[in-house]
Amino acid sequence: MIHHDGSKPIYVQISDWIETEILRGNFEPDQKVYSQYQLAEMFNINPATAAKGLNVLANEMILYKKRGLGLFVASDARERIVNRRKNETLKQLVVNVVMEAKYLQVSETVLVEMIHNVYNEIKEDGS
Amino acid sequence: MSVIDCINVTKRYGRETALENLTFSIEKNKITGIIGRNGAGKTTTLKILAGYIQESSGDVKVFSEHPFNSLMVSANTIFVDDQMNLPSSLNLAEILNNAEMFYENWDCELAERLFSYFSFHPKQTHDQLSKGKKSTFNMIIGLASRCALTIFDEPTTGMDAAVRSDFYRALLKDYLAHPRTILLSSHHLNEIEELLEDILLLKDGQVYLHMSLMELKELAVGLTGKKDEIQKWISNKEVYYESRVGINDNYVVVENTFTKEELAKLTATGITISQVASNDLCVYLTNTSKGGIDDVFK
Amino acid sequence: MSLNNVTLATATKKLYKYKLKANIGLLNSLVFLQLIAVLFSLNGVGQMGTGGNGFSINVYYYSSTLVIAFTMLWAFIHSIFLTTKTFRYDDFTFVSNRIASNLSNMVFLATASLIAALFAMFTSPLLKVIAYFLLDHEVLLETGIFYSPTELLLGFAATTLYIFLFSALGYFVGTLIQLSKLFGILLPVIFFGTLFVEARAGQSNLLITMGTFIFTESSFLLFIIKVVCLSSLLFGSSLFLSNKLEVKQ
Repeated sequence: MIHHDGSKPIYVQISDWIETEILRGNFEPDQKVYSQYQLAEMFNINPATAAKGLNVLANEMILYKKRGLGLFVASDARERIVNRRKNETLKQLVVNVVMEAKYLQVSETVLVEMIHNVYNEIKEDGS
Repeated sequence: MSVIDCINVTKRYGRETALENLTFSIEKNKITGIIGRNGAGKTTTLKILAGYIQESSGDVKVFSEHPFNSLMVSANTIFVDDQMNLPSSLNLAEILNNAEMFYENWDCELAERLFSYFSFHPKQTHDQLSKGKKSTFNMIIGLASRCALTIFDEPTTGMDAAVRSDFYRALLKDYLAHPRTILLSSHHLNEIEELLEDILLLKDGQVYLHMSLMELKELAVGLTGKKDEIQKWISNKEVYYESRVGINDNYVVVENTFTKEELAKLTATGITISQVASNDLCVYLTNTSKGGIDDVFK
Repeated sequence: MSLNNVTLATATKKLYKYKLKANIGLLNSLVFLQLIAVLFSLNGVGQMGTGGNGFSINVYYYSSTLVIAFTMLWAFIHSIFLTTKTFRYDDFTFVSNRIASNLSNMVFLATASLIAALFAMFTSPLLKVIAYFLLDHEVLLETGIFYSPTELLLGFAATTLYIFLFSALGYFVGTLIQLSKLFGILLPVIFFGTLFVEARAGQSNLLITMGTFIFTESSFLLFIIKVVCLSSLLFGSSLFLSNKLEVKQ
């Protein structure tokens, strides 16, 4: 689950994990999420690191604080996560794909064609 | 609130200086990693804090008391290393019973559970144990004593990989249930970094840096790419490490003061940006030369 | 986590208990040494012979003085051991400081002296029994089979004090050696040096005077005061000297 190879800071992996859990529907809006101590125990990390992961989500208003009770999922958490991932994560992935294509001298049309094909393959698998 | 305060602590052994003007403080209930090369002064620092040895000059306070000859500090501190002095005339079960007598917070149940989990025999004596088993037994004492200041100096010496990861997990779980100030020195930062909140990096008897592990992770960045290309970007930055990769490429570790835009530009010019593992970074920071062992063979 | 407070008395008591359990093996060497002393004593500590027309008398003295001497030596040597790193560092694994460590050693040595004296007292009847059964003598005279309880108690107290004094001396010598290895060479040289020099000069000064001062006191009360003062002085100096000793592995 958590990669200790240093590719991504642990706290980012923690916030990513909670985001994914929200997207998967494992956390409903207004449901309480894990505390920093529960996360620390689950992922074998220092509770301060887990707290930072939670704070990132609180700052992005994906989670909200209830005094003395802990952190809860915001009602629009899903939208926020999807939007941000589209604008940042997905965009970065596309940048990487385009860079690699340029490096290999694959033209834009061929690349779009490739993406199109992958879409179709996944669709067929799913049906 | 800080549990440990060291101001300008110097320790000399004859003509040799082991610690020089060490100044730092450790906050309550944090796990801090004491990291450094051999001879950097880790053990000396920890032994001063435990009241085992006395500083030559400077001011040391543990729980606001001078630790040397303080019973209060001793009662609330446990120092665990691979050569813990335990009598060979007592068997392991008797040693645990004695430890229980000394420490108020001793958790008998935890000690017994760990004892049987690591398959110790009550009738064994400490000097019959192998190196790894000794360390494991000492670790049990260190955890079960539940001291407000728990010091582990190279606790995993001789332990195999499975026991090491068991130990780290046990340490974390017990810490979560009973928060306390823990100092952990180790050569394997990569193994313990997730456990740590802070890191105290020592170099030549001095504090090189003292910060949270998250800050350390963002302190430096690794760049791989064409030598000339990289050189343009790092001329006014501090370089921690430099090495050649392949034919024309260089790998450099520099201070991470790049802006987001700069980083984007870097990627665009074909330079790969990578995170530097904390363990590697600490090695680079405490190296005397920028090229490491390669410099010897130039 | 709240901090625990410990008084010097509690810490000393706990260290003492710990020592008692950990060092119980010392008694084995004590019993062994005392048995050897009994064997040596069977040769007789003194002999006197006379003869006349057709008869000769050989008188052998047997006494457990040698046992007590051996016990004192045992106390001396083990006190030195107690000051060595192996023993000293054991204390610091758990709750201790230098004062508590020294005090608990003192109480431990007092206990050991008591036990050693008790054992030494038992060797006296043992010697008699062995002499009676094994040695081929025509007449066996005794200085009294039964001692009065007061006599026994006095003898026991005096033996304990002698042994304790020697352990205090050993502890002091051991502490000096811990401070500097130089004392390990210096002290024997001084000791034997004075012995030889004095023997050659045929005069009795320092060592003899000291010996007479302690061993020939006829008033028991004065003897107690002398021993207690001397051992306190020795332990006190050891405590003062070792208060800066570090725990280095």
